[in-house]
Amino acid sequence: MIISKKLGLLSIVLSAAGFVACGGPRAVRGEEVAGLDEEAMGTGLDKRDLQKMLHDNMDALQTSAVVQRWQGENRPSVAVLPIRNDTSEHIESSLDSLISDVETVLINGGHVRVISHENQGALVDEVKSQQSDAFDQNTVSKWGHQVGARYFVTGKTFANDERQNDERRVQYTLFMQVLDAETGEVLFQNKASVTKALVR
Amino acid sequence: MTNLARTSVLLSALLAGCAGHAARTEGARTALDEGAPEQALELLDEELDVKSPAELPEKVGGDNALLLLDRAMVLQQVASTSAAPSTKNYALSSRDLEIADKQVEVLDLSRGAVDDIGKYLFSDSTGPYKAPTYEKLMVNTMNMVNYLVRGDLNGAKVEARRLAVMQKFIDGHEGHGASLSGPGSYLAGFAFEKSDDASEALRFYDEALEYGHYPSLGDAVARLSKSASYRSPRLTEALHDAGNDAAPPADSGELLIVIGYGRVPAKIAKRIPIGLALTLVSGALSPNDVSKANYLAAQGLVTWVNYPELGRPRGEYGTPGFALDGSWQELEGALAVDEEARHAWDEAKGTVVASAITRLIARVATGEIVRQSTGGGVVGALLSLGTQATLTAVDTPDTRSWSTLPARIAIGRVRLPAGKHYIDLQARGVRRRRTVDIAPGGWAVLNMTVLR
Repeated sequence: MIISKKLGLLSIVLSAAGFVACGGPRAVRGEEVAGLDEEAMGTGLDKRDLQKMLHDNMDALQTSAVVQRWQGENRPSVAVLPIRNDTSEHIESSLDSLISDVETVLINGGHVRVISHENQGALVDEVKSQQSDAFDQNTVSKWGHQVGARYFVTGKTFANDERQNDERRVQYTLFMQVLDAETGEVLFQNKASVTKALVR
Repeated sequence: MTNLARTSVLLSALLAGCAGHAARTEGARTALDEGAPEQALELLDEELDVKSPAELPEKVGGDNALLLLDRAMVLQQVASTSAAPSTKNYALSSRDLEIADKQVEVLDLSRGAVDDIGKYLFSDSTGPYKAPTYEKLMVNTMNMVNYLVRGDLNGAKVEARRLAVMQKFIDGHEGHGASLSGPGSYLAGFAFEKSDDASEALRFYDEALEYGHYPSLGDAVARLSKSASYRSPRLTEALHDAGNDAAPPADSGELLIVIGYGRVPAKIAKRIPIGLALTLVSGALSPNDVSKANYLAAQGLVTWVNYPELGRPRGEYGTPGFALDGSWQELEGALAVDEEARHAWDEAKGTVVASAITRLIARVATGEIVRQSTGGGVVGALLSLGTQATLTAVDTPDTRSWSTLPARIAIGRVRLPAGKHYIDLQARGVRRRRTVDIAPGGWAVLNMTVLR
């Protein structure tokens, strides 16, 4: 009887170890698991983070002076440039997807004509390879003529990344800008922030 | 099913499912020794239960993260030594390193009570893998190579920033010396230099110079110091040594060579008598455990201690080289990774063996419970011995390590006229000729990784 109990205890411990070693994931759809899209899976940027940063920045843009200026110019042409990644995470694909989202908001706002980034292949590559922090006037003007854009919408992402003891925190800031393609002047700038972390 | 039968089934399952990491990678390491990296890739894919390096395993956490690190380096070797350089395999190597980087971080933060129960009774390898410091620093370093070879400064800078976060963390927890990474800081500085960020480049170059002596940095430090105010005694010394801060000819460019060769020592499983184990670590055990262990040593029964030992590195005495248009150039010994591995192991060894002895004592105590529960006698003694022997067999020494890191990394850097050049790279008996076309003011990074 006693030996049976002891072996039972051993079985439980072994089972626990087995679970530790052999638990496997299963594939699910977003709608099958409540809150799946809300759950953070890491310190990168996910759909919810991107939507929040996009929403914060585009809301500010819609109420800015530059939109009033666009309304007086009969739908000027706008191109959205790649958003620069100055963070410690490989979020380039997330930032690329943000370009399409920005274009969608601009198109649906109806104030401007949007030159799709998919028609700017060479320029996108050139912007991505540009390494200096600022867009100088000559370069912006050249790009404006290259794609026929009167304005550019662009942005930069920064992150303050810290790790302490058993936790890691990444604070993202997305700056969005509207540039005058002829002068390089910054006509609008806003920032939105998101924090992601691994905590215990 | 009786409890005894259930226990036997579970033990068998554990035995079948949990071969040590060294055993899982032995085939791949042997293939690398034989100069067959493609075969090593196939064997690692088998362990990951995938059909090709393009695939990721269903589960990327746990020990699969280590296998991904191993595969990443083999992919880098295949990319760098194939007849034509393979951008695709460098990209796959980056992907594996980035996924493993995240997983190693999560594992690093997640060792809990359940893992400790397993560690206490069975084996160190039941818990999450805790990467030693040098491995953590090498993840970002080796990925910078993957990005720089592809000319991707943005990707390299992300890795450089990740390296800086890790260095800062290690600096605060293990001391400044532990956080230094010579080639990591060198490559990070290079990425920022070529991105026209002179201050950040100088900061990383300063760290590289704190780690080691890199004469090739002299000219770069001299140039960067004209446009950034960051200074340190090491940078001042490098400026003094360089002697020439003239701007380089406009029609010239730079070539950086990174050669990884040999392989760090892998951990191997060992079983030694408890008496011998006690002589290795008597100071690391509690007095109570020492007396129990001495008692067991005197009994001379099932008293084998399972623990991992560090094997021998490979190729650490190799002499890599590179030639520019037929003229052999100087390489700098950037990092002895094998010595970092040895140093890390020497620091951990006492605790690891002491832990193994503690597990042995726990196993014997479990056997004793079985013996007493059966009322002693011959049957009880046999059941006790059987329990101990089974638990001893389950005790797989924790041989987990990133076993496909190069033993040594060498760096070469030359300024050369813009235009097409032939570069010969050689390491550990492998020789490849590459062509680079340098634009005026441009740069290129070439890599050769030979893990044998």
